[in-house]
Amino acid sequence: MSSKKLTIGYFYPDLLNLYGDDGNVQILLYRAKARGIDAEVTHINVETEVTEELMDSLDIIFMGGGPDSSQKGMYRDLLETKGNYLKEYVEEGGVGLYICGSYQLFGKYYKSADGSMLDGLGIFNVYTKHFGNHKPRCIGNVVCEVEEQIKSDPLFKKINMVGNTLVGFENHGGRTYLEKGAQPFAKIVTGHGNNSEDSTEGVIYKNSIGTYLHGPILARNPHLADYLIAKSLGLEDLDKLDDELIISAHTASKKLKQ
Amino acid sequence: MFYLILWLSKTLNFIINFLRLGAGYTWPGHVALNLNPHIAKDKHFKFPMGVALVTGTNGKTTTSKLLTHILETSGLKVTHNGTGANLLNGIVSAVLLDMDWRGGHDSDIAVFEVDENNLPVVLEYFSPNVLVLLNLSRDQLDRYGEVDIILEKWLSAIDTMDPSAELVLDSTQKYFKKLPEVFEGDITYFDGDSTYLKQTSLVGEFNAKNVNAAVYTAQLVGIGDESILKALKTFNFAYGRGETLKYSGKSWRILLAKNPASFNNNLDIILSGEVGADTLVFVFNDKIPDGRDVSWIYDIEAERLQKACEEKNIYVTGTRGLDMAVRLKYAGVEIKKENIFETIEEAVRKVGLNGSAKDILALPNYSAMLQLRKVLTGKAIL
Repeated sequence: MSSKKLTIGYFYPDLLNLYGDDGNVQILLYRAKARGIDAEVTHINVETEVTEELMDSLDIIFMGGGPDSSQKGMYRDLLETKGNYLKEYVEEGGVGLYICGSYQLFGKYYKSADGSMLDGLGIFNVYTKHFGNHKPRCIGNVVCEVEEQIKSDPLFKKINMVGNTLVGFENHGGRTYLEKGAQPFAKIVTGHGNNSEDSTEGVIYKNSIGTYLHGPILARNPHLADYLIAKSLGLEDLDKLDDELIISAHTASKKLKQ
Repeated sequence: MFYLILWLSKTLNFIINFLRLGAGYTWPGHVALNLNPHIAKDKHFKFPMGVALVTGTNGKTTTSKLLTHILETSGLKVTHNGTGANLLNGIVSAVLLDMDWRGGHDSDIAVFEVDENNLPVVLEYFSPNVLVLLNLSRDQLDRYGEVDIILEKWLSAIDTMDPSAELVLDSTQKYFKKLPEVFEGDITYFDGDSTYLKQTSLVGEFNAKNVNAAVYTAQLVGIGDESILKALKTFNFAYGRGETLKYSGKSWRILLAKNPASFNNNLDIILSGEVGADTLVFVFNDKIPDGRDVSWIYDIEAERLQKACEEKNIYVTGTRGLDMAVRLKYAGVEIKKENIFETIEEAVRKVGLNGSAKDILALPNYSAMLQLRKVLTGKAIL
């Protein structure tokens, strides 16, 4: 962990990049390199053979969401081949960010409007339900506040140049519910979050975050980007960057209509 | 009943024009459809040489405008929804407003630009002689949903189309591979060959496709080469799609950049040197017609974006200008704080004061393009 090189494991980049989430990887690279940290991306596709060695080389894992047709294309591979590696990675405290579709797939199951069930990896203690036409899609700007686990982390306090708010955009049909013991990633200020009922947004388990936030999430939340970089490299602090512009974008976003 | 609706529509249009209520073009059609949802099936909506529909994520305004221009150059009278009102109500408006008070029109043919999401609805009312499908790519996910969903709707609508119609398709579109399976009629394919493009003042591979789509459609309708070549040479840009406006001694070229595909296409034009510019102005809004989710700007290819900005003055404005500025920064573009403006008016004024800004190229998304044009021309287009 002492080597100052950041390797990002980007799972299914071709299939799961629907909402510009690819930007998260670009931003992690930019912010690491701006500190003189050598950074690179390992693309992991359906045809990539995952080994213990490959997993050990990753400092952070990123996975986005995709259209149904794409998710069909990687679903079997994720559940049958790569799932166990990811489970072990998360259990051992590996840092990861899982957006929208992949957040759902990391849960226990996805129940469609017609009652059919799709198994998830069961890494996150959450489940997702789609209510069909009975409930509208959750679409709009989101403002939320990071929950205890990150908020009280001395590392986050030290690198935080913004405050505890996160801003982004959500667009999901499924509604996700936390089971007992699961910790929400953030608390909704405006927006739907997990299910537009309980004010929770996303989930955090060990060092892995599942969230519905697009934007992409790291674009206007530089504090979260830096937290992930520092956490994944085991650093206690990061050099300050000139983030004035990004902070003003964050601040302006807090006033956007839902 | 038809005449009542016709007169009402025409009167409404007269009032809208008289009171200068911009963007009122869809109202007559909207009111007409409320009074008679099936008005577009009325015999007054038929044209001797039929109807051509043009749809796709990008290029439909330019393609339908060029097709209309070719047909008119050959001496035909064309009904065309040229204001960009491309839902069923805009199309109904275009037909009603082309009629005289007796419900007669002397149009030989109709060319309608159709919103890609609205195509199935329009196909319920119009049986086109030619249907031009330009492309499908990610656009406004918050409103339209994923491309697959639009494609599915297209496939089931085209499946029920009369096979005597002709399809005109981009042969390079991966999403179009399934179309021949559902459509039994003739299909004409076009690609990015630049032979016809070179006869126009348009640039870029995507415009080569738009031009070929319009030319092939005109040929299917029976237009001869002479009229086509003459029309290509005299074609003017559709508003906001490559047009150049003069504003206090400076030249502003506007390239609509409303989704990842159109943005990347425009960057290619800048990088190829086909369009010279010393200044780039990014105008970025998140109003309803733009899509409220701005995430897609991270699907603009970072390297192309950075190269296109090299050694140019860079300005940013619009309701989400700050988001665009952050995107530029993460692509490696140096952006000065004093070049970011809250309002388009202020940005235009400041660019005007910059002595080194002579050839300005603006990249606005949809509502930003309308606003920018309004500032530069002093009037609204619709």
